Amino acid sequence: MNDERVYTVTELNRTARGLLETEVGEVWLKGEVVAPKTAASGHVYFALKDAESRIDAVRFRGRSPLLATLEEGMVVLVFGRVTVYEPNGRYQFVASLVQPVGAGLLHAAFERLKERLREEGLFDPERKRPLPAYPSSIGVITSQSGAALHDVLAVLGRRWPLARVFFFPSSVQGETAPAELCTALGRAGRFAHEGRALDFVILGRGGGSAEDLAAFNDERVARAVHASPIPVVSAVGHDIDVSITDFVADVRAPTPSAAAELSTPDRGDVRALILGKADRMRTAVEARWWGTERSLRVGLRASLVREPRRLVEAREQKLDSLSGRLLAFPRAALEPRSERLRHAEDVLRLTDPRRPLERGYSITRIAGKTTPLRQAEGAPPGTEIETVLASGRLRSRVEEVTET
Amino acid sequence: MKIEQALAKLEEITATLERGELPLDEAIRLFEEGVALASEAKRDLDAARLRIDRVIEDAKGALTAEPFDVS
Repeated sequence: MNDERVYTVTELNRTARGLLETEVGEVWLKGEVVAPKTAASGHVYFALKDAESRIDAVRFRGRSPLLATLEEGMVVLVFGRVTVYEPNGRYQFVASLVQPVGAGLLHAAFERLKERLREEGLFDPERKRPLPAYPSSIGVITSQSGAALHDVLAVLGRRWPLARVFFFPSSVQGETAPAELCTALGRAGRFAHEGRALDFVILGRGGGSAEDLAAFNDERVARAVHASPIPVVSAVGHDIDVSITDFVADVRAPTPSAAAELSTPDRGDVRALILGKADRMRTAVEARWWGTERSLRVGLRASLVREPRRLVEAREQKLDSLSGRLLAFPRAALEPRSERLRHAEDVLRLTDPRRPLERGYSITRIAGKTTPLRQAEGAPPGTEIETVLASGRLRSRVEEVTET
Repeated sequence: MKIEQALAKLEEITATLERGELPLDEAIRLFEEGVALASEAKRDLDAARLRIDRVIEDAKGALTAEPFDVS
């Protein structure tokens, strides 16, 4: 007996604990809940039993939220590790995840993977890349036969047909889906790398059961999204579905249609933006024109005493020419397929020095105002008007207005 | 010109004109350039039709894009 080792109680408990934690480690355990009790600390103490045996269990506060409140007699699936609580030598199960049986192992695996990838930094907000404001080239990874492809293309066609779409087919459910999705992501990355720039790629599928969406909760897919050299917009299922891919992607969209929507500008908005700028340009130039014209003409007349008439007339002609070009640009010049657009462009191309005013056209405006009159009804009888001719101007009063 | 560049150039022209510091004939020349640019950009916008290519990989691992008919 001499060489038999004598343990202290503490040593024994510690040894037992070490053995249990290393030999059994983390396991899934199924059982019926007995006497659940939430302590003041927030930890939940309970026991699990089956027909022949039972084990004490604890779920510490601050882990991922409980999927259900534990109730006496509830059958649950728990994930955790077996250990010994050294102060009292009691053997117990420390549960990190508890869910009612029936919610499926799928969800538990999802939570576990999500936590692991989060800790690894795959979801870090600072690594999310922004999308360009006006994309010219968009990748789409989804099934060739699914509704998602149709939805995405319909929205892109309506909002932003200026972009070119590159479609990378992949199955989105079933056993081969995760590997195929990784391959497609790799191809999109290579494609972009080979000089045919892709601004970003939309990755997704339409709604389905939890099993249907499983490929988008696959760790390989999550890592392929993380490794993608171009930004990824995830578009998995319906609004309520959340996938691991959603967390890793640069941008998360609730549905495939929404992905196409939030990653592109609207053609109508951009058209309005252009017309708005054209309006601002015209207003600015008109203001400049009416502000300078009078003083220029007066100055030119005054310089007649110093310079040959020919030179002064040449400058006056130039002024008239500028006036003609400016007035040839009503806002309607930008309206689609309009006669006025073609006319305006013709005027622009004119190198012929025949100026509208010299040909007998004139500009009429209300005396003291800077903008030309376009409609007779703008000047009711009695209004004082000013007419700008090729040479000089007339001030008169309106006698009668005739509508055309 | 890509739409993004056209929009940036248009904004630059508009801002220059709004400052009102250019001689009149230069202002009008710039205005004409701006209007031409605006009509070109708008024409591109109106004429655009979505083009879709499917990218496939051959046995040697080369990627090719081929026109894809959605229907």
